Amino acid sequence: MTTLAYADPSPYLPIFFMILAAIGFAVLNIAGSFILGPKRLGDRKGETYESGMTPIGTARKRFNVRFYLIAMVFLVFDVEIIFLYPWAATYTLLDPGSEQSLVWLGRILFFLFTTVVAYLYGYRKGVFKFD
Amino acid sequence: MIEKLAIVWPEIILFATTCVVMLTGQWPVCAVRRMTPWLAAVGLIAAIGAAMASPPSDGLYPDLVPYAKSLVGIMGLMILPLLAGTVDRELEAGVARGERFEPLRSNGAEFYAFFLFSLTGLMLVASSDTLIWLFLALELTSLPTYMMVTLSSRSTRAHEAGVKYFFLGALGAAIFLYGFTLLYGATGSVNIPTIAAHFAEHGLGPIGLAGVLISLIGLFFKIAAVPMHFYTPDVYQGAASPVSAMLAFVPKMAGFMAIFMIVGSAGWGPDGTGLPVPVEALLWVVAAMTMTVGNVLALLQSSVKRMMAYSSIAHSGYMLVGVIAGPGGDGASFWRNGLAAVLFYLLCYGVMNLGVFAVLASLERKGQEADDIDDIRGLVRTHPPLGWSMVICCLALLGFPPLLGFIGKVGLITSGITSGHLALVIILAINSAIAALYYLRLVAAVYLEPASDTGFRPSRYGSRQVAALVSAGGVLVLLLMSNRLITAADDASRYAPVAPETAPYAEAGANN
Repeated sequence: MTTLAYADPSPYLPIFFMILAAIGFAVLNIAGSFILGPKRLGDRKGETYESGMTPIGTARKRFNVRFYLIAMVFLVFDVEIIFLYPWAATYTLLDPGSEQSLVWLGRILFFLFTTVVAYLYGYRKGVFKFD
Repeated sequence: MIEKLAIVWPEIILFATTCVVMLTGQWPVCAVRRMTPWLAAVGLIAAIGAAMASPPSDGLYPDLVPYAKSLVGIMGLMILPLLAGTVDRELEAGVARGERFEPLRSNGAEFYAFFLFSLTGLMLVASSDTLIWLFLALELTSLPTYMMVTLSSRSTRAHEAGVKYFFLGALGAAIFLYGFTLLYGATGSVNIPTIAAHFAEHGLGPIGLAGVLISLIGLFFKIAAVPMHFYTPDVYQGAASPVSAMLAFVPKMAGFMAIFMIVGSAGWGPDGTGLPVPVEALLWVVAAMTMTVGNVLALLQSSVKRMMAYSSIAHSGYMLVGVIAGPGGDGASFWRNGLAAVLFYLLCYGVMNLGVFAVLASLERKGQEADDIDDIRGLVRTHPPLGWSMVICCLALLGFPPLLGFIGKVGLITSGITSGHLALVIILAINSAIAALYYLRLVAAVYLEPASDTGFRPSRYGSRQVAALVSAGGVLVLLLMSNRLITAADDASRYAPVAPETAPYAEAGANN
């Protein structure tokens, strides 16, 4: 019995070349613009947004902690999508009405239920209150 | 796949309870919030009921499920009263004075929910039969505990402990996950019985061996075995005593069940002495070091919590002796069966250890829990019930005959001797003698020293003292029941690897 451990590594060769190409592209661009690019520095050139709006204040100001709560609530959705998408893409391959398809439906409904619980918790916690 | 639902009913019940607790724990009405621990208790009792009626699993240890899950439920019920008043003290005091209840500032819902989540994960470890399930269950067990450590106290020490525990826990998880991938790479299956069958037929091979060893090293973190023990004293001391009591049992139980599965996949052989030499060598060295380092360092501590942390390390070392001894062949009695000895010892250790932490949690001075050995001097005279609980639990931990710890240790020793690990058993015996020094120091401080006013008073959360008394009572009651418990542990440790010819190689991937 062939096991994975002794499998032929050659299918991974393109990935290796891809990594090489990615690193090479980045190095080439940075080195190229460093060597070839004209260097005319000045006040205008050094601004955050060249020929854009003038920045106001510092970027390192404090944000309201609520933004973190919103970010976390968003993450729940985000993770949900990660699971929903492959589920939806493969669900159509199952026989309609078969026992297996029911099990798959049950699984995703349970997963959606956990999200509902998470949002109920967030709602009771007052995450969605803005005052 | 749907048939598997039958063995996870206890987990489903606990999960449903968790969902309810998550909402009631932060309800604006005070009476509803007070109900939260009771709801958790009802859920745990229902889960124990479901666990006792559970059918055998498909794993390497089919009958582990009822024993392990009932044990988890019972320990959960014993820890639950101890958790009262750990979080939200100032908040609830403010509400009692008439301030508005702010859900964003409360931690009660999270604390109880994390507690139940962790127990759910621990039960899932018992029913796991694939590496992926095992990994997820182990993570579900540990992740809530990291947060419980941080939530349990306002001190920066607790925060430091939480962060330390989290990062080292993540390191441990990364290591055993890497080991799991190697096991998968060597056998082409994530199904643990299939892996065992593959190893039985083809031998471990270099990659399989590396997989087993690396998985074990990662899992040593969970049971706090040397050299993965460094976090233990800081975390136990930093966390509030109720949480330390939980930490001493929950991750250890999860770790030992996972180690059973990983070592079991390598196999002890038909007569129980055929563990592959490198695996046995690793377990042997780690067991010897864990016992010795734990006990010697415990001698040097003046903080009872740190002492108990090192003693927890030492107890892991004792239990590893049972893992090395293995199931002792077909139809072996309890006294030859190392796995049964470990399962029984886990129960004993959980109860005895809980008692010591419960006594510490029951004593308070200005909101600070007792920690130093000076805080409990003369306790038998000042607070007799707490003092005697401490004496009983310490003597049991020491393995003083005829107390509970003694029976547990005898099982480990006899299984070690019958499987031919005499040197290790001698190390165990020497270590028990070293351990006597510091346990007796605690007993002497509590029992022999004159009463002095240390300023510590019993906590106003009376349920903590109930937990202490229940643990001490448990040490005595379980002693009377030990015959039945030994039989139960013996049944639970039935090791049933699939015979190689019936191993479902081809379908292994298909039905998962």
